[in-house]
Amino acid sequence: MESMEIDSDKVQQRKQSNYSYLDERFEIQKEMYRGQQYSQIYFARLHLMRTLLYSFAPTWKPHLPVCKVLGLEEGKECIIVGTLFKHMKLKPCVLDEYSKERSVTPLVKPHNFMHPDDNLILEDESGRVKLGGSALSPAIYVTGVVVALHGKETSAGEFFVEDVLEAGLPPQIERPLDLQEDKYVLLLSGLCIGSTSSNPLQFQLLVDHITGHLGDDEEIGLASQIVHVVIAGNSVEFPRKLFTGQNLASKDQSTLYEPIKELDIMLNQIAAGVSVDIMPGLNDPANFALPQQPLNRCLFPGSAPYNTFRSCTNPHSFDVDNIRFLGTSGQNIDDLEKYSEAESKLDFVERTLRWRHLAPTAPNTLGCYPFTDRDPFLIETCPHVYFVGNQDKYDNRLLKGSEGQLVRLICIPKFCETGIAVAVNLRNLECHTISFSTQIS
Amino acid sequence: MNRAGNSKKRPPPSNTPPAGKHRATGNPTPSPPVGTLEDEFVDEDVFMDEGDEESLILRDMEEREAVSARSSTWARPPLSPAYLSNSQNIIFQQLEIDYVIRESHKELLPGSSGQAAVIRIFGVTREGHSVCCYVHGFEPYFYIACPPGMGPDDISHFHQILEGRMRESNKNASVPKFVRHIEMVQKRSIMYYQQQKSQTFLKITVALPTMVASCRGILDRGIHIDGLGMKSFQTYESNIVFALRFMVDRDIVGGNWIEVPTGKYKKDARTLSYCQLEFHCLYSDLISHAAEGEYSKMAPFRVLSFDIECAGRKGHFPEAKHDPVIQIANLVTLQGEDQPFVRNVMTLKSCAPIVGVDVMSFETEREVLLAWRDFIRDVDPDIIIGYNICKFDLPYLIERAATLGIDEFPLLGRVKNSRVRVRDSTFSSRQQGTRESKETTIEGRFQFDLFQAILRDYKLSSYSLNSVSAHFLSEQKEDVHHSIITDLQNGNAETRRRLAVYCLKDAYLPQRLLDKLMYIYNYVEMARVTGVPISFLLARGQSIKVLSQLLRKSKQKNLVLPNAKQSGSEQGTYEGATVLEAKTGFYEKPIATLDFASLYPSIMMAYNLCYCTLVTPEDVRKLNLSPEQINKTPSGETFVKQSLQKGILPEILEELIAARKRAKADLKEAKDPLEKAVLDGRQLALKISANSVYGFTGATIGQLPCLEISSSVTSYGRQMIEQTKKFVEDKFTTLGGYEYNAEVIYGDTDSVMVQFGVSDVEAAMNLGREAAEYISGTFIKFDKMDTKGIETVRRDNCLLVKNLVTESLHKILIDRDVPGAAEYVKNTISDLLMNRIDLSLLVITKGLTKTGDDYEVKSAHGELAERMRKRDAATAPNVGDRVPYVIIKAAKGAKAYERSEDPIYVLQNNIPIDPNYYLENQISKPLLRIFEPVLKNASKELLHGSHTRSISITTPSNSGIMKFAKKQLSCVGCKVPISNGTLCQRCKGREAELYCKNVSQVSDLEEVFGRLWTQCQECQGSLHQDVLCTSRDCPIFYRRMKAQKDMAVAKQQLDRWSF
Repeated sequence: MESMEIDSDKVQQRKQSNYSYLDERFEIQKEMYRGQQYSQIYFARLHLMRTLLYSFAPTWKPHLPVCKVLGLEEGKECIIVGTLFKHMKLKPCVLDEYSKERSVTPLVKPHNFMHPDDNLILEDESGRVKLGGSALSPAIYVTGVVVALHGKETSAGEFFVEDVLEAGLPPQIERPLDLQEDKYVLLLSGLCIGSTSSNPLQFQLLVDHITGHLGDDEEIGLASQIVHVVIAGNSVEFPRKLFTGQNLASKDQSTLYEPIKELDIMLNQIAAGVSVDIMPGLNDPANFALPQQPLNRCLFPGSAPYNTFRSCTNPHSFDVDNIRFLGTSGQNIDDLEKYSEAESKLDFVERTLRWRHLAPTAPNTLGCYPFTDRDPFLIETCPHVYFVGNQDKYDNRLLKGSEGQLVRLICIPKFCETGIAVAVNLRNLECHTISFSTQIS
Repeated sequence: MNRAGNSKKRPPPSNTPPAGKHRATGNPTPSPPVGTLEDEFVDEDVFMDEGDEESLILRDMEEREAVSARSSTWARPPLSPAYLSNSQNIIFQQLEIDYVIRESHKELLPGSSGQAAVIRIFGVTREGHSVCCYVHGFEPYFYIACPPGMGPDDISHFHQILEGRMRESNKNASVPKFVRHIEMVQKRSIMYYQQQKSQTFLKITVALPTMVASCRGILDRGIHIDGLGMKSFQTYESNIVFALRFMVDRDIVGGNWIEVPTGKYKKDARTLSYCQLEFHCLYSDLISHAAEGEYSKMAPFRVLSFDIECAGRKGHFPEAKHDPVIQIANLVTLQGEDQPFVRNVMTLKSCAPIVGVDVMSFETEREVLLAWRDFIRDVDPDIIIGYNICKFDLPYLIERAATLGIDEFPLLGRVKNSRVRVRDSTFSSRQQGTRESKETTIEGRFQFDLFQAILRDYKLSSYSLNSVSAHFLSEQKEDVHHSIITDLQNGNAETRRRLAVYCLKDAYLPQRLLDKLMYIYNYVEMARVTGVPISFLLARGQSIKVLSQLLRKSKQKNLVLPNAKQSGSEQGTYEGATVLEAKTGFYEKPIATLDFASLYPSIMMAYNLCYCTLVTPEDVRKLNLSPEQINKTPSGETFVKQSLQKGILPEILEELIAARKRAKADLKEAKDPLEKAVLDGRQLALKISANSVYGFTGATIGQLPCLEISSSVTSYGRQMIEQTKKFVEDKFTTLGGYEYNAEVIYGDTDSVMVQFGVSDVEAAMNLGREAAEYISGTFIKFDKMDTKGIETVRRDNCLLVKNLVTESLHKILIDRDVPGAAEYVKNTISDLLMNRIDLSLLVITKGLTKTGDDYEVKSAHGELAERMRKRDAATAPNVGDRVPYVIIKAAKGAKAYERSEDPIYVLQNNIPIDPNYYLENQISKPLLRIFEPVLKNASKELLHGSHTRSISITTPSNSGIMKFAKKQLSCVGCKVPISNGTLCQRCKGREAELYCKNVSQVSDLEEVFGRLWTQCQECQGSLHQDVLCTSRDCPIFYRRMKAQKDMAVAKQQLDRWSF
């Protein structure tokens, strides 16, 4: 996109790429709070997913009839499609604030609310039915996932599940095969400027690397292959507590504003050299409910004028050279971890893709805008790169779909804790880390 | 609920029934002895109608195949051949005992003729068969003291005179003989210590139970006897309802097992009830089993829990005269099982199916009602439960059927041809105010209204089904306002299904409550312990229970009880329990509480206080009792010691306490949860019963008041508390070799709190134990310090006060963090002034006991109810409802009652609340009480500090002036009017800061919004349907409404930044 001057005589050109922005569906424009509730988003989700799952039914179980929850007959095998609801004993409840007894110690570890007694219920607009059998593990599924189930109603009024069908990976746009050269998209998250764990030096090193001010020719060469940078949430530590309504003391104002200013300065430097997307995260000065709307440009007086600087939504989706990226700042996966179990974070990521839904737990346990006619979190097209920000450690996996889809799943670690950024090669979807850890070992 | 002695009766066709008598409810134990209202127990004869209406029903049944097809799955198990051939003893657990008047049984009682009272017992066998047992040959009787000079030869003459007088006053009774027999018996009155073993009494047996009262009246007024002149008689045991008389004489206690051996019972060709086993027997052939071992178990009673929905007209609460019954949901559970075996709902018009529920839809209301009647008949429930069924559901169904002219509907009882009757009664007590109530009598089925039971047994801030379930089951229930119900009904099969699901939940919750609160076990055990029929427990006060025990014991001792009205005791008041002035202060060192285990019962036992040990003042002189033989109580009464005469009350108490010990020991051993439930219910019943004995003696309008006893009890109690104080303070001194001087800081009815001065709990406990041993003769146990009885449990405070007090106490007492507590209070007060407090915390709730006009003094909630009625009569609270309100800002000098407002209205119109009212009238007193001992200048510090300086008040959107105001765009930062954009020139530099502030508000709101609305989805049990709930008892209801409203405003505000 732009060329830059480097100290050495040899001028390296930053590679070019085509970027297209695909966030329209995550934007809340004219939509208003007019007393709408959450039933509509569930309805929209169920409606779309059911059409899809119904189309799979004839190949999945050709001989079985498709029923609604209401149409179940005892002992008759059939397929039902509906939204799962997980009944959880330990799930925190807003009513607990009002309970009479105060418990001295919290009953559960705060990070996970699983209990052996948890059970699943399937619901469609006609009713709900309790699910039995071992085919469907309550530990894996969460409220809000739409699945097709094969089974039959028992005399106890339960639906005994024999087999489960998830939507599976969505179809993928074809990956361009003519990419000859290495081009990288750099993913990072959790800069946490203003927090105690953030290290300004690390971030400066990162910026210098990206802009080609660091290292020898080889490194600069690598830097020149970075065509795009994504900052996936939690860029600043935003002390919400300061905003309890009172006017801020000037001291507080500076602790609040300094990190944003610092971020703006850094972003300014990056944007001068390469296109950069910034997504809001849980701790950023943005709204809470998903999809989080772009950080307001008034926060970035320095960087906002650059046309290479984009403030984006969370979740965020874009194409670079026809490679489709989709990612979040991590809330969707962190919430899954609270309400279900998996061996690794990537398993959660993979599940959301197979369920074709970015954030099934929204709105149930994850804050979400009450959409009236759509569910923006449905994944209609399979991305080539699916990233999740603000994770404890870096991890990645190449997922192959049944129809030849290839997806790179990436957990981006928190930069402030690890000093790691992740580079994805557009040519082959390979990825590697770039570490700026300043810890002297 | 049934008034057992007075219910299940049908008046003779020609007579009008006596008007329902004013009734009092029982008091919690121990009941305040003075001025307790107790009902009068009267028998009322019901004449059996043996006509034939069955053809009517049968004809009707054939048409109703929808129901009869299902009845095979509902019906009770069929009788075994042994039962059919009468070759098996019939053993059953009885639930109800009453009597009817009918022709005496020719086969069993060949000698007698005419009408007689026949005891009727309903019950269930172990196999689940329903039983109706008619017991013949038991006759009502009472005693009078035999006048001196009357010998056996004079009796027949006396009999004649009495018979003559009886005939005069009972003209239309068709009995051959009014006074069956009079015989001489040797008995003794329970009143006063007497030296002679017995004296002569006349036992007068009359034909029908009601004649006891009329005969008593004649004897009270006096009759003329030749040779003796005009003479009036003190009657004995003439105020005991017939069923109880029978139970006492046959050693039957409520809910026990009864056996009738084979050969001793006769089955009539024509049955009178729908019970599977209906038979007749002689009263002497009944075997009553004590509730032990195998016989302590429960029969598999069928419990029906139901709820109805009615479609009201807009603006009106449903009325049976106009509004149809649209749905009836039923659940039937076998006692002891955790899942109902029948789940169904009957709906008017089509209704989409519900998983696991049998949905029966009908086109007309008539079909719905008759289907329900047939269902009741087939499923044959022993117990009918529900929430507010006695006052609403049952009367509504009956009245509705009458309006529609369905004569055959009210045949719901177990007795053929007997129609369910509803009558109005007034339910009045000090505790709950006067309430209009209805009594519905369904013969043979025990009604248990959870609403009444909980109202009676628990103190709650609200008794709506929702808040009761929230309290006991930690579960919120969706509350659909009755004004929406009609819309749902007029929709389609899906919306009616929605309603049906709601209706089913309302039927299910009472069952859950019944299980959770162990009502069946507790009530059956209470009936067994006290010996009264179960139905008495809900409908009657405490005193009948004590009376029942007293009668049983007296019978063993050959004593008779005088009729209360003539009891010799002086009516008056006496000094109550003592309360040692509390020494206010903050005690950092542990306080030991010396708790006299059941003080009053212990006193009665220790000093042998009883009717039969009381010595009259004349007798004290006459009888020449030595001082070793008597106790003089501190109140000046004299009682003989155990060596001369053991009291009956102490004996009852000893047995109760011993039985409780046994039950508790068994409870420890018990493994089976059902067995545990029975035993726990029993020990609780025993404890309550022991505590209510004292109250019985003090109930001046009660059955057998004896203020000499009750005043002696309290005088001993006072003495005990004061002595303990003295003992402790004398013994535990530095002079006595202890480390510190002990100090009694508080004492009340049955406990004393002592500060021993030591700083660790263990040492204080040891000293406490030492003190307990030192104060011999009383039972003392230890307990932990509790915060009960402070503002936290007062019902009419708003939640904010409760939270503040609990949290402050916790911080001060447990965390020992006084500054932290003060800080917390200050923050909360600041929040209050800044209008940041959740509105639901400010809602005050008061019960509306009368309509506005009836209140002499204007009250906040009464006035509000009136105002709400004017706004919308449909949603306005009715008498008996609890009215939620908040106090709003109003013109200066407005009275508090004028400033009450409906919280919803406040939310909708942005009406400012009055923080000062809350600060001054709600928060300050309880807080100062807590903080004054621990914080200097508490009032100044907490209530007037710098945190009270900034206040924020909302602008009302409906006030007069605001209608004319025009909204002007203003700077988000400093509110300066601007023409466009977001910020004024001066604030431009603070853009980022102001934006952050704005976005963080939105962020907080979004979080709350999401949590609240998803919680409501969870409660209603559906993700795909909108939340309809309007339960004002739900703590998050107001918050949810507010979040929705605030969110819209905040979002608009935030959108101004998108430029």
